[in-house]
Amino acid sequence: MVSLWQKIRKTGRVAEPPPPREDGAAPAAAAELAGSVQIRHVDAGSCNGCELEIASAFGPVYDAERYGARLVASPRHADALLVTGPVTRNMEVALRRTYEAVPQPRLVIALGDCARNCGVFAGAYGVAGAVGDVVPVDVEVPGCPPEPEAIVSALRGLTGR
Amino acid sequence: MNLTQTSFALALALCLAAALAALALPRRTRPAVAGALTAAAGACAVVSGAAAVAGQGWSAWYPELLPLLGVRLALDPLGGVFLAVTGAVAVCAAIYGIGYTRHGLAGRGVQAALPLFVAAMLLVPAAAGVGTFLVAWELMAITSLLLVVAEHHRRAAAGEAGQWYAVMTHLGFAAILAGLAALAAHAGGDAFEQIRQAAISPVAASLIFLATGAGFASKAGIVPLHVWLPRAHPEAPSQVSALMSAAMVNMGVYGILRVGLDLLGGGPAWWWLLVLGAGAASAVYGILHAAVSADLKRLLGHSTTENMGLVLIGVGAAGFFAASGSRALAALALVAALLHVINHSAFKTLLFLAAGSVLHATGTRDLDALGGLRERMPYTTALFALGALAASALPPGNGFVSEWLLLQSLVNALPEGGVRHAVTMPLAVGAIALTAGVAIATFVKAFGVGFLAKPRGEGAATAHESPPSMLAGMLLAAAACAGLALAPTLLLPYLAETAGGVIGAPAAVTGEVTLRLGGIASTISPLLIACWLAAALVLVLALLRVFAARRARREARLWDCGAGPMTARMEYTATSFAEPLGRVFDNVLRPESDIDVIPAKESAYIVERVRYRARVADRIERRAYEPVLAAFAAAGRAATRLANGSVHRYLAYGFYTLTGTLILLAVIA
Repeated sequence: MVSLWQKIRKTGRVAEPPPPREDGAAPAAAAELAGSVQIRHVDAGSCNGCELEIASAFGPVYDAERYGARLVASPRHADALLVTGPVTRNMEVALRRTYEAVPQPRLVIALGDCARNCGVFAGAYGVAGAVGDVVPVDVEVPGCPPEPEAIVSALRGLTGR
Repeated sequence: MNLTQTSFALALALCLAAALAALALPRRTRPAVAGALTAAAGACAVVSGAAAVAGQGWSAWYPELLPLLGVRLALDPLGGVFLAVTGAVAVCAAIYGIGYTRHGLAGRGVQAALPLFVAAMLLVPAAAGVGTFLVAWELMAITSLLLVVAEHHRRAAAGEAGQWYAVMTHLGFAAILAGLAALAAHAGGDAFEQIRQAAISPVAASLIFLATGAGFASKAGIVPLHVWLPRAHPEAPSQVSALMSAAMVNMGVYGILRVGLDLLGGGPAWWWLLVLGAGAASAVYGILHAAVSADLKRLLGHSTTENMGLVLIGVGAAGFFAASGSRALAALALVAALLHVINHSAFKTLLFLAAGSVLHATGTRDLDALGGLRERMPYTTALFALGALAASALPPGNGFVSEWLLLQSLVNALPEGGVRHAVTMPLAVGAIALTAGVAIATFVKAFGVGFLAKPRGEGAATAHESPPSMLAGMLLAAAACAGLALAPTLLLPYLAETAGGVIGAPAAVTGEVTLRLGGIASTISPLLIACWLAAALVLVLALLRVFAARRARREARLWDCGAGPMTARMEYTATSFAEPLGRVFDNVLRPESDIDVIPAKESAYIVERVRYRARVADRIERRAYEPVLAAFAAAGRAATRLANGSVHRYLAYGFYTLTGTLILLAVIA
């Protein structure tokens, strides 16, 4: 226990200083959430590049949770879906059902180029389409994969903090 | 001729008539007539027992009925309590049995043995002489054994259970026989009346108590003599399971009370600490095994061990307090024990009958293959839920009141006692608390896994509701549970009188709506608790209605991880639900698991099949019984060499044995 406290004291603060908030038009539903956005991540067929960046965005360095965004374990607990990857045929129904399971008001973030427009997988035989073809998308984060700063910045747009 | 005697005689006559009717009548009408007559006998026994409890005592001696000793019968309040309980269980079980006649259970033997079993159980608490008691006890053992093996031609397990039961019950009988015979010899007479007045030396009294106590404990399913109970109770036909588990095991408690507190007049404190310790061990061990059991009736059998353990905690505490001088507390502990006997009989009858309904409808007792019975068996499900509530000792169930009384007597003993109190009482309270906690998990499992969600097996998917006679039997037991839960105050003054009479103290519990305990500030009011709970439930539902209505509603699919549709394979099974408990109590239960990985022919890295087997064996059986059984088997194998088939050799054995005996007798004489 003592060594843990020592470690905390020695390490100090590792999070980056908060970057300036970009001004952008937030979706109308985001205002209702009042600065606290619970997010369910759905991997609709990603190569796991975006997942690494999400993990990084919620890690101690970028620490997205200090802006009010939080990852949860069930769409029933979520306000927003964070969808990565092109929507594969196997995940199409699951994504739709996950979207239906989120209580209203609900938001969908398409994270990464694949989620936005299928990226390099466009036209592949196993791909049903981009996220926007399956469920309505509110926010898009470009990049292959997007950098943690971009993810945090998009999430700040939703939380407004 | 008073009411007690008249209705007792009528009950016995009706049992006999039921047995004769079962032998004489054709198969079509047999179950109905025998069942109705047995139920009437049970009702008469309830009247007789109630009259005896209310103070109409009775005793009689019929010297011509049994050679040498004659039949001595007497009913006092203590015997009356057990007589009335047995009668009430018999009513429910007999009515239920009219419809529960599949698989040859309508045969002459089974239908005739059941009323005789009831008659024997009615005779045990009414016996007032050592000879009469032993005859009634043995009759009870034999008739119940016949009923346990009733279905042995269909299930080999019933035969095996019968063997275990036969051996254990007769070893127990031998212990009781030795103890009571010694008691009668020391007292110089067979009648209980004589024995009470006789002065028996402390050493002899202790030996008698230990011998009879072991015999009675084995009948009550007390650890470590319980091994027959979880085998025999599940294998018997369900109404017989109910009679055994709710009425017959009580006779073990009755025996300990009668011999220890009444005939031997109390005895030293260590007797009762022994009883209390055995009770606490049984309560914890029984409920832990019930918690990990996946067989519905076996679970209920283990739960019987648990409840008898709780009763013996009360009995032990009563004897201990009486021996250390605090008679008021002793009376309270005894009241708690007697009330728990009655409560346990009520809910265990209900639960075993409901389990029988499930078995009748689905053909299986395996909780892992049940589930989803709520839609197809709504009445049985509701009745089982009521029984499960009572068995988990939560308010407003009836088990709560007796456990509360028991805890009050134990907790309030601390300020009065010395070191022994300070060590024993917290341990006993802890055992009861642990038991109650695990009991909740057990019955949540039994009800949730067995009756809710989706059916996991063929039998459960095609289940059907039971016939009206079976439902009527269960409804009667459920009504008894509800009555005991809401208005135990109607019964408790009589029990308090009874317990006071046995201990020699004034009545420990008074009050009409609110129970007041003699000398203790605590009060409880089961009726008000039930009313408040109902009111709170209504309030919560109303608030939910009001607040939920203010938001827009939307139909949503049940969340199934997006994969759907949900199948029965995704459900909790009894085994998986109990697995964490098995891990937590790993030291006691020692769950065993086996994993066989069978690789494919082509490569050792490709797995073709994985077989997983998990099992929780009874450790006491494994450690204490199996070596003895193995030794017997080895002795038997060794003895086969003596019998090689030669007639000459057998004649020589006879000759030498006779000569040897004669020489021995000549030397001794």
